[in-house]
Amino acid sequence: MRAERILVNAGKTLAVLLLLVWSLFPIVFIITSSFKPGREIFAVPPQWLFEPTFDHYITLWQRWAVFFHGLLNSTIVTIGAAALAVVASTCAGYVYSRYSSRWLGASLLSLIAIRLIPPIVVTLPLFPIVNNLGLADTHFILSVLYATFFVSLGTVLMRTFVDQIPRELDEAASMDGATLPVILWRIIMPLAAPGIIAVAVFVVVFAWNEFLFAFIFTSTKAKTAPLVISEMIGSIEGVDWGVLFAASTIQLLPVLIFVMLMNRYLVAGLTAGATKG
Amino acid sequence: MARLKLSGVKKDFGGVEVIKGVDLDIEDGEFVVFVGPSGCGKSTLLRLIAGLEEISGGQLEIDGRVSNDVPSRDRGIAMVFQSYALYPHLTVAENMGFSLSLRKTPKAEIDRSVLQAATILKLEHLLDRKPSQLSGGQRQRVAIGRAIVREPSIFLFDEPLSNLDAALRMETRTEIAKLHRDLAATMIYVTHDQVEAMTLADKIVVLKGGVVQQVGAPMELYRNPCNAFVAGFIGSPRMNLLKVDVTSVEDGKARLAQPGLEHLVVPAGRVTAPGKALLGVRPQTLTLNPGQHQVSGTVTLVERMGPETVISIRLADGSSLLAVLPGDVEQALDANVSFSFADTDVRLFPASDLEN
Ligand SMILES: Nc1ncnc2c1ncn2[C@@H]1O[C@H](COP(=O)(O)OP(=O)(O)OP(=O)(O)O)[C@@H](O)[C@H]1O
Ligand SMILES: [Mg+2]
Repeated sequence: MRAERILVNAGKTLAVLLLLVWSLFPIVFIITSSFKPGREIFAVPPQWLFEPTFDHYITLWQRWAVFFHGLLNSTIVTIGAAALAVVASTCAGYVYSRYSSRWLGASLLSLIAIRLIPPIVVTLPLFPIVNNLGLADTHFILSVLYATFFVSLGTVLMRTFVDQIPRELDEAASMDGATLPVILWRIIMPLAAPGIIAVAVFVVVFAWNEFLFAFIFTSTKAKTAPLVISEMIGSIEGVDWGVLFAASTIQLLPVLIFVMLMNRYLVAGLTAGATKG
Repeated sequence: MARLKLSGVKKDFGGVEVIKGVDLDIEDGEFVVFVGPSGCGKSTLLRLIAGLEEISGGQLEIDGRVSNDVPSRDRGIAMVFQSYALYPHLTVAENMGFSLSLRKTPKAEIDRSVLQAATILKLEHLLDRKPSQLSGGQRQRVAIGRAIVREPSIFLFDEPLSNLDAALRMETRTEIAKLHRDLAATMIYVTHDQVEAMTLADKIVVLKGGVVQQVGAPMELYRNPCNAFVAGFIGSPRMNLLKVDVTSVEDGKARLAQPGLEHLVVPAGRVTAPGKALLGVRPQTLTLNPGQHQVSGTVTLVERMGPETVISIRLADGSSLLAVLPGDVEQALDANVSFSFADTDVRLFPASDLEN
């Protein structure tokens, strides 16, 4: 019995370790490489002890100013997308939770169904329209696109959260003198905060890293950081791996920190509704 | 301060009519209690007045102004919910001051109003707590406090005491009565506890199936119930309704034919023709002393409470009859007993009253 338990525990630990290595290795590799002198990056066997250098970061700053502009664009687009998705999902989730009719039920189903279509199929035909409206290469169009991809999931998620807020709170607030927007802002949003954070995390992670749509819809003004990184790989002077890893590290960190900070709420958010009867 | 007038107010939910045309006048400063069995539409009627449900037909006037389409926030009405409905993310003080903060009242003034209400309700020491850190009774008082702070002209209460234990119910009931005296505001109170109705109300509205059965002062309803339903509903324990045969109705008097009741002649009330009828007898008017009018049966239950004794007997027709006798009475089960009553203490109702 005892031996068996130890074996099982050892197995579990091993599995967790494997998972950890599997998911952490690329991150650790990228971050450490960005501080290694160029020659040592792909050295075999890998060098775990080395003298850290900031050369790559300095080069990045000097030669790839466009990357930092890309970061700024990414930030604007990401915040815009997250704000849009959160507001739209909360409003829609509220309506689906509080009102019911045949049409609402059908539209919720279609929301989910549409999500199953590959986004590119829906999006590509939009290109000429976006162009004609003069929206190509703007932060606005990327924010709207990214938000749109998550509004269906966000709506369903937010509905679960709003469902858990007793309707009498809305009614009490409305008797206290609140209009619908005030009820949403002062009662629903604070009480559904974990859901809002969950939606925001999804959108932020996606929008920050998205490549394909950014590639299609932007060229210079609104070009996001991942596009610049890909240009580094295709650069005519040959790939400077150290600089590439430095850029990747900078690209990686904000999301990593954001997700870690929000982790607590995220777990609460994703499991909400699972236990309540 | 406000008067309220309902004329033919109706409500249907997807084709099912729940409130079937209610006419009601509520005077300024009156304490009105809605009573009735579960599902009769008390809460719905209250929510129509509050503006939380849309009125399907008829008219609601507040202070002479037709208010069917006035949003609830503009009706000058505050409501205390059965579930309290406190905002869980706000402190007690913020809960109570919420309405004022929406009106952009200066902070100092909000604090003063909140403190004033909290003092009335003995909540001063709890102002910084969240609702989850309060007991049921305290939450109830915060909910009442939130209503007071708004200084509404009409207070609505939907079974505010039903989640409290017996002692706390009585205490809070007294507080609400005092509040009504102090604020002199119009109050409408829903309950199915008829003790609350009798003790609090200036005016009781008895509802059944979305229809008003009778409106009147508590003792008026107790003494002169207009039908068997109201008779059975007001008074505790409920009035006995004996199935009797009326042999003749003359000059507003009905004569009964029943063993033990041969000599009984009672005001016919709404009974106009011989046939089946219901004879209402309050349990407290029955005595074990022999008398002219009697009902007999076998004892099925004896409850000795101390100051009074409740005895239930089964009559020949299988129905049961309850008597409340003063003092402690020893009575063997299964014995045959007769109760007598005075002919001035009974009321006659048409048998049709209890149909449907
Ligand atoms: N939103 C609604 N949709 C459909 N039917 C409803 C709705 N609200 C209430 N009803 C129906 O209306 C009737 C009256 O309900 P209401 O809640 O007013 O009863 P009540 O007298 O307050 O009962 P209780 O004493 O149990 O609280 C019930 O038959 C109920 O099923
Ligand atoms: Mg009710």
